[in-house]
Amino acid sequence: MTRLITGTALAAIMTMSAGSAFAQTELRIFTGGQQRPDVMRQILDAYQEQNPDVTVEIEVGGATSEQQQQYLNTVLASQDSTLDVVLIDVIRPAQWAAAGWAEPLDEYLGDERDAIMDRYLPAYREANIVDGAVMALPYFADSQFLYYRTDLLEKHGVEPPKTWDELKAAALKIQEAEGNPNLAGFLTAGAPIEGTVCTYLVPYWGAGGELGGEGGAITLSAEQAAQPFELWGDFKEAGVLPANIAEIPTDRIRQDFQAGNAIFAMNWGYVWNRVQNDEDSQVKGNVGVVTLPGFTADTPATCIGGWQLAVSAFSENKEAAVELVKYLSSPEVSKQQAILASHMPVFPDVYTDAEVLEANPWFEDALPVVETARSRPVTPAYPRVSEVIRTNMNAFLAGTQDGAASLQAIEQGLSEVMQ
Amino acid sequence: MLTSTTKPLPLSRLEKSERRLGLLMILPAFLLLFAVVLFPIGRLLVTSTQQLRLTEPWLGTPFIGLAHYQKALTDPRFWETTLNTFIYIAVTVPGAIVVGLGLALLANQPFKVKWPVRLGLLLPWALPLVFAGLIFRWFFEFNQGIVNNILMWVGLPKLAWLTDPFLATIAICIAIIWKTSSFVALILLAGLQTIPKSLYEAAEIDGASKWQQFIEITLPMLRPAIIVAAIFRTITAIQTFDIPYAMTNGGPGNSTETLAMYIHKTTIDFLDLGYGSALAVLMFVVSLVMTAGYLRYTRRDPRQEA
Repeated sequence: MTRLITGTALAAIMTMSAGSAFAQTELRIFTGGQQRPDVMRQILDAYQEQNPDVTVEIEVGGATSEQQQQYLNTVLASQDSTLDVVLIDVIRPAQWAAAGWAEPLDEYLGDERDAIMDRYLPAYREANIVDGAVMALPYFADSQFLYYRTDLLEKHGVEPPKTWDELKAAALKIQEAEGNPNLAGFLTAGAPIEGTVCTYLVPYWGAGGELGGEGGAITLSAEQAAQPFELWGDFKEAGVLPANIAEIPTDRIRQDFQAGNAIFAMNWGYVWNRVQNDEDSQVKGNVGVVTLPGFTADTPATCIGGWQLAVSAFSENKEAAVELVKYLSSPEVSKQQAILASHMPVFPDVYTDAEVLEANPWFEDALPVVETARSRPVTPAYPRVSEVIRTNMNAFLAGTQDGAASLQAIEQGLSEVMQ
Repeated sequence: MLTSTTKPLPLSRLEKSERRLGLLMILPAFLLLFAVVLFPIGRLLVTSTQQLRLTEPWLGTPFIGLAHYQKALTDPRFWETTLNTFIYIAVTVPGAIVVGLGLALLANQPFKVKWPVRLGLLLPWALPLVFAGLIFRWFFEFNQGIVNNILMWVGLPKLAWLTDPFLATIAICIAIIWKTSSFVALILLAGLQTIPKSLYEAAEIDGASKWQQFIEITLPMLRPAIIVAAIFRTITAIQTFDIPYAMTNGGPGNSTETLAMYIHKTTIDFLDLGYGSALAVLMFVVSLVMTAGYLRYTRRDPRQEA
């Protein structure tokens, strides 16, 4: 219906403007509120200057990955053509490919396809190619790191921890010495949201767990599956995790850390720019970033994140949209994002760029972390997988369900996902 | 009609054209109702008997009969969310009526300046549900919330309002009652104003106390208004979605998830339109049964009084 109306309207406009020399192309790009639309606007302004026949409008969606996808699900299920380019989470390309929502880019890239794809970090090349077809191009990379307060660690003579045990000991020592009841030892996502999936997977992978299964089913390694519950249960009991951990979503971690209310926090790359540059930041200049701890010092693990640019299969300006996507996925834009928003580059070379390093000194050690970060399960039914893990992790962190029951519920839920 | 005939005579040409015009006049309303009510409901019934998953479009949309309904009846989550929904109905419908009655009585007092009370009545009603949910989520937040601030201020320990299943249910019920009692109050206020003053004057002369007047005059006279309010409130309570969605997103675990939230999750998050439709049909049936109960009661009412 919408397509019909827009189609008719478009035809009318085209007939009317057939005489004018200049055909203006209007593109609409969708992004999340947390992915710095302000920085995207700056980048798009530059693009519009170079391409005066194109104007790009930004539509800003919800704050979390699921809220954005809920909205996109309704738009795309009705085959609405209003969006041309959509910024999607790294966990989505498989679902988008299955549903037929993303325009495969292979034909548009033509002979350049392999050359273009080879420039990216391998993880992002793989994440965006589904069954041999390029479904999207990466916008920025991401993975989870350990943020810590350099001032507090120095004051109490503590080194940045390399293991969870060290982290617990350090947090307890500092919490006790500071005597501030509002100072959390460690923060990670605990609310029933996407980020909480990583709260489960990081220690699971760290302990050596693998995600197995065939034909879309997902299974957990029996030995390691209970480890995350033991770890977080222990942290909560010791008071390292705050009592309200089950109501904390991703950006809340950043806000609490930025307000000086946490010693350690597990979070994504964007936090750096905010804590160092936001006017209300209480911890400016007192923040360090290192690889997440492991159960032993040499077995850290982290979740891979990042955002991809997909061209909607229902767009009426696919050619122009692909051109825009190619530009936004270029090394120049990657560098700009790194400087303006501490968004991690998708090209290995950009990590060693002098200007990028000046803005983000910790990028020097970040490349190996991104290169070894792990993917959440790749399946069209990912929303169900995610819901099973995050809901039970949330119930566990809230204390309403013990570790054994949570694990059983997760395994049961995962076995039902593809039914 | 120009003429009213008692004998079944064939219609004159004029009458025929009148009738055609009449049908033509109701056509827009009928088409609108068909497009926005009948067609979607019919479509929902059809979809509920099909396999329709947007995550796996290659499976097609085969007819699978009542398989989804069978699945729902053995789906523990369907029963849990239905139970949660009934808890919200059982608490918030009487809650909103009691609070709403209090508000209506207050607004009915002969204050010189009436607008502050009436504005206070209208504001919660005019506020979008999600906003109300967000506001109450901030109220009940563990560290920054005003509720825990007050508890600490009077020397009590902080409570995990949003991450304890029992407390979260209470917090959500408080938010729903606050949000919906003003609507109930508006209906009851209209009812109160139709009660003749002479009844109270007569009671006064007979020496009835204020409480007796309330029990013997106000409540019985308000009964039709209370029933109307209860019907509306129950229907919206069956559909409870926004406030728990904004306050807890169903958490901790699934403990505060309502049936409407489960339908939303199945349809919009999991893109299982077939199963989601079957759940929606079941919710529709629950609505129908509950309202039918009320309607029988109201129909019986006048005869009893006569």
